[in-house]
Amino acid sequence: MRDVTLAIAGSGGDGVITAGDFIVQAAARKGLHAFMLKSYGPQIRGGESSARIRISDRPIYSQGDYVDFLVVFSWKDFNRFLDEIQLRKGAVVLYDEADTTPPEEFPIDKDLEVELIAVPFKKMASEEIKVPLTKNMVALGVIAELLHLPLDAIKDAVMKKFGKRKPEAAQVNLQAIDLGKAWVNEHLPKGTQVMLEAEGSGEPKLVMTGDDAVAFGAVHAGVKVFAGYPITPASPILEFLSKWLPHFGGSVVQTEDEIAAITYAIGASWAGKQAMTASSGPGIALKMEAFGLAAMAEIPLVVVNVQRVGPSTGIPSKSEQADLFQAVGGTHGDVPRVVLAPSDVEDNFQVAVEAFYIAEKYQIPVIILTDQFLGERSETVDPEVLFARKRVISRQLAKPSDLKDYKRYKITDTGVSPMAVPGMAGGQHVISGLEHHEDGRPTSSGTIHQIMSEKRARKLPLIAEESGFVRVYGDENAELAVLAWGSSKGAVREAIERAQEEGIKVKAIVPQLIHPIPEKAFDAALKGVKRAVVVELSFGAQFYRYLRAYYDGLPKETYSYARSGANPLLVSEVVGAIKEHTAALGSLQEA
Amino acid sequence: MEPVKLTAKDYKTSVPIVWCPGCGDFGVLNAMQQAAAELQLPPENLMVVTGIGCSSRIAGYINSYGFNSIHGRALPIATGAKLARPELTVWAAGGDGDGYSIGTNHFVHTIRRNPNITYIVMDNHIYGLTKGQVSPTTPHGDVTKSTPQGNPERPLNPLALALELGATFIAQGFSGNVKHLRDLIVQATRHEGFALVNVKSPCVTFRGRQEFNVIREHGAYLDESHDPGDWNQAHEVTQWTDKIPLGVIYKIEGVPTLEGVAAEAQRKAQEQRAFKRAEELLEVFR
Repeated sequence: MRDVTLAIAGSGGDGVITAGDFIVQAAARKGLHAFMLKSYGPQIRGGESSARIRISDRPIYSQGDYVDFLVVFSWKDFNRFLDEIQLRKGAVVLYDEADTTPPEEFPIDKDLEVELIAVPFKKMASEEIKVPLTKNMVALGVIAELLHLPLDAIKDAVMKKFGKRKPEAAQVNLQAIDLGKAWVNEHLPKGTQVMLEAEGSGEPKLVMTGDDAVAFGAVHAGVKVFAGYPITPASPILEFLSKWLPHFGGSVVQTEDEIAAITYAIGASWAGKQAMTASSGPGIALKMEAFGLAAMAEIPLVVVNVQRVGPSTGIPSKSEQADLFQAVGGTHGDVPRVVLAPSDVEDNFQVAVEAFYIAEKYQIPVIILTDQFLGERSETVDPEVLFARKRVISRQLAKPSDLKDYKRYKITDTGVSPMAVPGMAGGQHVISGLEHHEDGRPTSSGTIHQIMSEKRARKLPLIAEESGFVRVYGDENAELAVLAWGSSKGAVREAIERAQEEGIKVKAIVPQLIHPIPEKAFDAALKGVKRAVVVELSFGAQFYRYLRAYYDGLPKETYSYARSGANPLLVSEVVGAIKEHTAALGSLQEA
Repeated sequence: MEPVKLTAKDYKTSVPIVWCPGCGDFGVLNAMQQAAAELQLPPENLMVVTGIGCSSRIAGYINSYGFNSIHGRALPIATGAKLARPELTVWAAGGDGDGYSIGTNHFVHTIRRNPNITYIVMDNHIYGLTKGQVSPTTPHGDVTKSTPQGNPERPLNPLALALELGATFIAQGFSGNVKHLRDLIVQATRHEGFALVNVKSPCVTFRGRQEFNVIREHGAYLDESHDPGDWNQAHEVTQWTDKIPLGVIYKIEGVPTLEGVAAEAQRKAQEQRAFKRAEELLEVFR
């Protein structure tokens, strides 16, 4: 097999995620592509958790629909993931023999004919290593041996994590890994369990989560002040920047609330420094009034929303694409704003760079609409792809000639006015959330409100024409198109490839720029398309409805494939939709 | 050549003032402009950040970089600005509703962080812009448009609250004594850390002209017998019920500021390793 999906299920204390991290890092060191999705229950510690890891020698776009290889520490914990872990027929299942559940009660469909192997994970860790907590490392040795992952790469990863800080722990872990490896060779028939036959490029890859990537991208773009409030699943952005931004001469504040976080960023940007805040749905809702202020006062600002399941508290640890309406329409008034959506971990970095480019160039607030599925997954990335976007710009300041009879909101053809920041002599003015004259003075004139609304909105068509925001995958001449956004791209792209392998002509259109709609690029991508299906994880089909409302160029035959989130989009369901619409397209042509 | 000396006039703007005739806030505006002149602050190096309310309009009336923002958020915007540009002077201002009701959370936590900014609160005990509702500092029992039976709540004591939270400079002024208020604002600006200047600034429209007389009658200027460095003495002053303390109530120097701590964190981080380009961070992910 050149493409393996492995799942490990246990409780929080089992070290499931740690083991998964090491496997991904080992694969990356071998130059393989790897992808890990973490899933956990609501408990802070001790609850159930699972790591789902996919490894391949080809680029990986999704979590993989079916699990080839499962490791279960406890059947009780595994039961909680029945929704998410679907086994492939003939899958290999390793389970801890310490779990006393009788085999006839295993929650596995008999028709799947899985190969069940009992392994004394806990026993080996307790009796031979004398540290029960190392059972995940014993399992890691077993998994590595079965997958033919290089043990030295795994050991490197372990040393990197523990070597300096806890050399003793590192040694114990290495012993446990060796024990697991030896157990495979002693107890399992030779040669039959080699599952991963993929050879890596040998060129080590980097491993990154989407949250880290968006934070790292912001650093590359020049962010100097970040303010945030802890919230799942966006907190890693706050943590990453707290650790690294001071090294770049920047500052991070964990504020008292979400409103303070966005207003710190607004104050910092107004004072002249690039600034960002990040949160998830509930926090973004709290920030929305201040977001409107940034739009009215024309202050460059980047706001990251790592979407989670809503409404309200929803399911904090799981993903959904249902904050689109909030992003494009949230807060009162006619608010010109920009919404960008990354679609994989590399994209999270790129989109952060583009967000600052647009915010600074057009003096407009930008929302980056990422999600838990992107934010908390680990993925191998290519540094060259990360740094492919070259649009890194600094604050665009007013020229000395602008400061004579200075007008902060001067009417211009582009809607962008010269910006003076504190410290620039002659540029003093007042700004506000109130409607205002060109010089910033407040007004309640309806005529000026109209003129200023037009001025602010004039930026949007220019932003829509910025290049490189629409990607097309698959057969360019296809008459059937799948429209998707954000993290749905992964399953959609893989589904397109699978459909093409079956001889179906189809393409996918995935915009990074959601609002304003990049109309010309959409028109070009949709040329010749007779039927389209909009795929998304939003029960209310927000993307479909948004496109219907804001874009006139959709084919008449445009349909929606939408369901609520939490469970990741499957390749098979997208393939199903493609087939259904291909058949409909056929009958359309016959008629 | 001698540098041109700045006077209070240099801090005036052409923005029309919307306040009612006789409003206490005129005195505060004069005091702020005179204080800026006293400190010889170049207008371009001064940021004035306010929230929403009658008094928050003051951001437009002072020649500076002004920001008349949204309700209750003057402090986080001002603090963010100070963090970005620690070399510049930041004044935050607003009313009692803005600072002590909708913005209370920020008031509490800004004090904890101690940014080197000055916060001037024009405390008139009423919501004036919305035409006369009860505010967090309206005295118990007072009839307002939203408390026709009398205010059922006891007023918030901003001085005592600030003191308990560890504010490093607390003063109270009166808009009817511009010279005294100017001196308080000068001292507050020179203070290294968060400085609260609560100003009794009467709303003549919704609380009546007699408010000026009430403050004149009950105002007690702190003299040399009051030691602003003595927390217990300061606490006693904040508990006065029959007199209104005027002057510097509490002051302590040497407490680290938010931006000072941030600069130190940057210095330490860059001493350990100064990154010039983001690419240098790639190794973290190997």
